[in-house]
Amino acid sequence: MGNILVVAEIQKGELREASYELLTQAHAVAGAGDAGRKVRSLVIGSGVADAAAEFAGKGGGDTYLADAEGLAAYNVNGWEAAILAAAEAAEADLILLSNTPSGWDVAPRIAAALDAAFVSDCFKIEADGDGLALYRRVFNGKLDAKLSVSGAGPVVATMQPGACAAYEGTSQGATHPVEVKLDGAKAVFVEVKAAESKGVDLTKADIIVSGGRGVGDPEKFTEVIQPLADALGAAMGASRPVVDAGWLPHEYQVGSSGQVVQPKLYIACGISGAIQHLVGMKTSNFIVAINKDPDAPIFEVADIGIVADLFEVVPALTKAVQEAKGG
Amino acid sequence: MKVLVCLKQVPHSDARLDIRDDGAWIKDDGVKFEINSYDTYALEQALRVKDAGEAEVVVVSIGPDRVTQALRTALGMGADRAVHVNDPEAEGSDPLGVAKILAAVAAEESPDLILTGFMSEDGNFAAVPPMVARLQGIPSATAVVQCEISDSSVRVERELEGGAMEVVDLEMPCLIALQTGANQVRYASLKGIMQAKKKPVDAKTVADLGLAGQVGASAVKVVIEKIYRPDKGEGAEMLEGSTGEVVSQLVGKIKELGLL
Ligand SMILES: Cc1cc2nc3c(=O)[nH]c(=O)nc-3n(C[C@H](O)[C@H](O)[C@H](O)COP(=O)(O)OP(=O)(O)OC[C@H]3O[C@@H](n4cnc5c(N)ncnc54)[C@H](O)[C@@H]3O)c2cc1C
Repeated sequence: MGNILVVAEIQKGELREASYELLTQAHAVAGAGDAGRKVRSLVIGSGVADAAAEFAGKGGGDTYLADAEGLAAYNVNGWEAAILAAAEAAEADLILLSNTPSGWDVAPRIAAALDAAFVSDCFKIEADGDGLALYRRVFNGKLDAKLSVSGAGPVVATMQPGACAAYEGTSQGATHPVEVKLDGAKAVFVEVKAAESKGVDLTKADIIVSGGRGVGDPEKFTEVIQPLADALGAAMGASRPVVDAGWLPHEYQVGSSGQVVQPKLYIACGISGAIQHLVGMKTSNFIVAINKDPDAPIFEVADIGIVADLFEVVPALTKAVQEAKGG
Repeated sequence: MKVLVCLKQVPHSDARLDIRDDGAWIKDDGVKFEINSYDTYALEQALRVKDAGEAEVVVVSIGPDRVTQALRTALGMGADRAVHVNDPEAEGSDPLGVAKILAAVAAEESPDLILTGFMSEDGNFAAVPPMVARLQGIPSATAVVQCEISDSSVRVERELEGGAMEVVDLEMPCLIALQTGANQVRYASLKGIMQAKKKPVDAKTVADLGLAGQVGASAVKVVIEKIYRPDKGEGAEMLEGSTGEVVSQLVGKIKELGLL
């Protein structure tokens, strides 16, 4: 069997936590297989030799270094070339990336280039005999899937950040430069625009009442969700489809592409609980979920769940809160 | 300019998901299907290119007869022509198989721009679009929320984490995979739907595309062993009873938290 190549990521000058999580997975799979299978890594960037050396010592093993000015920011052509060069040098038949904006952009291209099996956004990968068992969510988190790989060809997989603990072991590894041809790139990085400053800062709220697609239309937000928020002295939040449809501005969005919040109380109304929403609120101190679907994944992270029509429960709750405050 | 839009038909977001007896996917008989929401943004983007000047918009979808509905909807919204890869040999393809089929269609059509959704609402792989681009040897960008299209290049904004955006210039031909919310998607007008009846839908088989034996269930590299309801872990304490009972228990909890 071939080796395992871990593609590390640097963000704001530091190796990402998610990259160390990849190492946890890589060592678990390598340890279960034949002893000859090694964990190797790749660090891409500009002026990142120290980061590569650090990674090589903290579990990354022999680490390839694609270090060039043209790689200072992510760009799909440069990353693709670097990963393919490192995969070949590492004799890797399992390539692991994080399911981050760079990872999901380049990983499928690597699989297509290598005619490899591809599985994205895994929360767990296990050695299964000679093969692999890969676990991931489907239907926006409503169901889980167990997948396997057929044939002996290479495998490319991306891992959901935060799905496992970061690797804490050490390793002895050297860094090896890899040559990356950068001219002729057809995708050129221009700039990163920082997130716009928020008129509504949900991170400071003690209580957030959030509505999702289940609220149905913008008027219902004003009629049903807003009054509960007002009664509780809470901020209002929303899932992405609410913002996409223009019912509320982006600053109300909770989740991986919105705000990450941690209030004392989070009340989710008509929100199914897709992972991208959960990462934005699951560390809240207390979570209440109101959803008519008993299988909605939001109930996995909630402290209290109510399977009901939100249009019955929420107005009744608003009234009860008003009474409790008035009385 | 020629724009190719890839559409997938997926179970409606409110559809009940019953697991098939073999455990490997959901039962799709009796399920209502719709165009994958991400793909509707791709179609809208294509139609805007057409609105702004000369462009031919071709939509392509892979799937059984039911997919005709999705293609008719797209034609009703303003697409010019459809390609329907309707062949049992295509069924059960993994994302790379799907990408090979779409890349073969793209090779026949040679569009300047391929627009797709960022991911599908059923499989959630987000794999096919960059694969198609790579198989075609063209650049791609994913999770795109804005594009400015000029004659030979496209400037896109890709969504990063926490609301930051990455601006990238792509040389045409290129593939752009749209994130939800990228635009406001139009509806098909009655007139559009009537006109759509006369627009051509070109049926293709896997063999027509020169891919016999290379795609479909027999060629997969990734096998779905089973799908199942997630382990609820400790899960929530579920409140039961009448609305009144549920609400008073909840108010009690909020008081306990010291928030009332
Ligand atoms: C890269 C990326 C980033 C993303 N970022 C975010 C993000 O930051 N934030 C985010 O939220 N999402 C994000 N998403 C989208 C995410 O995957 C989901 O699509 C989204 O969270 C679903 O929102 P929802 O729960 O409101 O809608 P749905 O999943 O459609 O759920 C609606 C729920 O309402 C319930 N319901 C309907 N009617 C009623 C009723 N009358 N009473 C009670 N319950 C009812 C239904 O049972 C259902 O569970 C992102 C996706 C991607 C790919």
